Amino acid sequence: MNFKDIRERFRNKEISAKELTKDSLDKAHKYSNLNAFISTFDEDALKKAEYIDNNFNDYKDLALGGIPIAHKDIFCTKGKRTTCASKMLENFTPPYESTVTSNCHQAGSIMIGKTNMDEFAMGSSNETSFFGPVINPWGESLVPGGSSGGSAASVAADITSLATGTDTGGSIRQPAALCGITGLKPTYGLVSRWGMIAFCSSMDQAGPFARDAFGCAALLDAMASYDAKDSTSAQRDKVKYEDALRGDVGNLKIGILRDIDQLGISEEILKAYENSKTVLEKQGHSFVELDFSELSSGICSYYVIAPAECSSNLARFDGVKYGHRSDSSNISELYLQTRSEGFGEEVRKRILIGTYVLSAGFYDAYYRKAQKVRRMMKSKFDEFFKSVDLVFLPTTLDQAFEMNRTSSDPNRMYKEDLLTIPANLAGLPAISFPNGLANELPIGAQFVGNYFSEDLLLNITHKLQEVTDWHKIKP
Amino acid sequence: MDKIELKNLLFLSRIGAKEEDYPKIIEKLKTTFGMIDQMNELDLDQFEPLNNPLELTNVSRADSEDDRNSKKEFLAESPKSDDDFFVVPKIVE
Repeated sequence: MNFKDIRERFRNKEISAKELTKDSLDKAHKYSNLNAFISTFDEDALKKAEYIDNNFNDYKDLALGGIPIAHKDIFCTKGKRTTCASKMLENFTPPYESTVTSNCHQAGSIMIGKTNMDEFAMGSSNETSFFGPVINPWGESLVPGGSSGGSAASVAADITSLATGTDTGGSIRQPAALCGITGLKPTYGLVSRWGMIAFCSSMDQAGPFARDAFGCAALLDAMASYDAKDSTSAQRDKVKYEDALRGDVGNLKIGILRDIDQLGISEEILKAYENSKTVLEKQGHSFVELDFSELSSGICSYYVIAPAECSSNLARFDGVKYGHRSDSSNISELYLQTRSEGFGEEVRKRILIGTYVLSAGFYDAYYRKAQKVRRMMKSKFDEFFKSVDLVFLPTTLDQAFEMNRTSSDPNRMYKEDLLTIPANLAGLPAISFPNGLANELPIGAQFVGNYFSEDLLLNITHKLQEVTDWHKIKP
Repeated sequence: MDKIELKNLLFLSRIGAKEEDYPKIIEKLKTTFGMIDQMNELDLDQFEPLNNPLELTNVSRADSEDDRNSKKEFLAESPKSDDDFFVVPKIVE
């Protein structure tokens, strides 16, 4: 069942919050082979569900009233273990609640557990987790994508109808594409980063997963808020995204990339992309060809800026205030051992890259140059949005791939983010949705919109999903 | 990057590694920098560096007291604490 049907049945008292929660928890345990969850909170979730059922009138009209939800284990949850899929935080219990999870609680949702992810959100295959890889519900040897792989798997396997994720370089959209669901990365600043464990603060952005745009709209309604506790939170009038889906999108000018077949995208994905263009054309939209020859340089910029910010953000993990600690009689040794034992290989590598590009001799050659590429990307999109309403492109180069593929070519994993990174560098919103099936595996495509155009992105995807069935196909 | 440079980098990062693993680490870093170095082919003279996509300025809030940062709760998460303090190995001999 998708989110809309579940909420309707709850509101009509055809099913109780307790029954919904029990069903979600049963499935989470039944599909434990997916390794989608790091923690489940059975007792607390059922207790909250019971409370909601006993106070039905207070919850029935809330956006997420009575709905079980899974949160990526990157959001601090007060009194509940939050690991970021790292040995460093294996036993960390935050003394405070993130704004995202707090907003979701207030909107009436029931947190059944925290989902697995790449360690500190660094990865595109969910293989870097200290708690082991997540399995894609579409095939037991396949990766679900990353870093929000557990959240995507939870929705794809129908464990929960909604889940939260974060997208720094594509970590919502890429797993959404690989798992056959819908995922939205909002404009930087729309959703508070308070209590979200930092990886790359100038790009990290939380967003929703659901089977369709409707579910994403409802969850974004709950997640988005101005937050004085986040200095980069955007102060804007509140938009009701669910209501925005009722409006007409009109006839849009959609940007498509010239020479898209030169980017290394698989034939199957290009075919699905062309099919979607035909549907969009039938719906009255027109296409404008754009020259985006600089697209590939986004990866270079990202893999300088993200490690640089990561090396700075992760400096706080020193074994003194919280997290893993290696016992030593010497403070220098304590830092060194704690960080060597607590961080996995990929995280250690990114810290080294970040420290290198920020060091005195290399700052201009790497960090400053990467920031210039970032400006170039933003300028390019600013130029695009003078002539088009949206940009349409595939989400990934390939469909879900076999585990361990990336170990033979470390840069191959980084290239997974080729089509998603530009939106992160520019801070733009983008939505990925299922738009095809090949080799019995899902395919995803994405719309990138101008700043704070989430209502338009959700609406055009919703209109597309009203006439197509790709989002209804399950593993 | 050579072994001495890596040793310095490891120290700056407070990350440990066995010397026998240095060649493997250097190789991996070189592979990544090989990809990153493609930036050098771009003409970026006309672009100013961009720190933040929305070019937001920091906001400040009132410096008011609340009970969020409870000392007891925060110390409880420390791997080693003693009454009101975090405990670390002796620093000054």
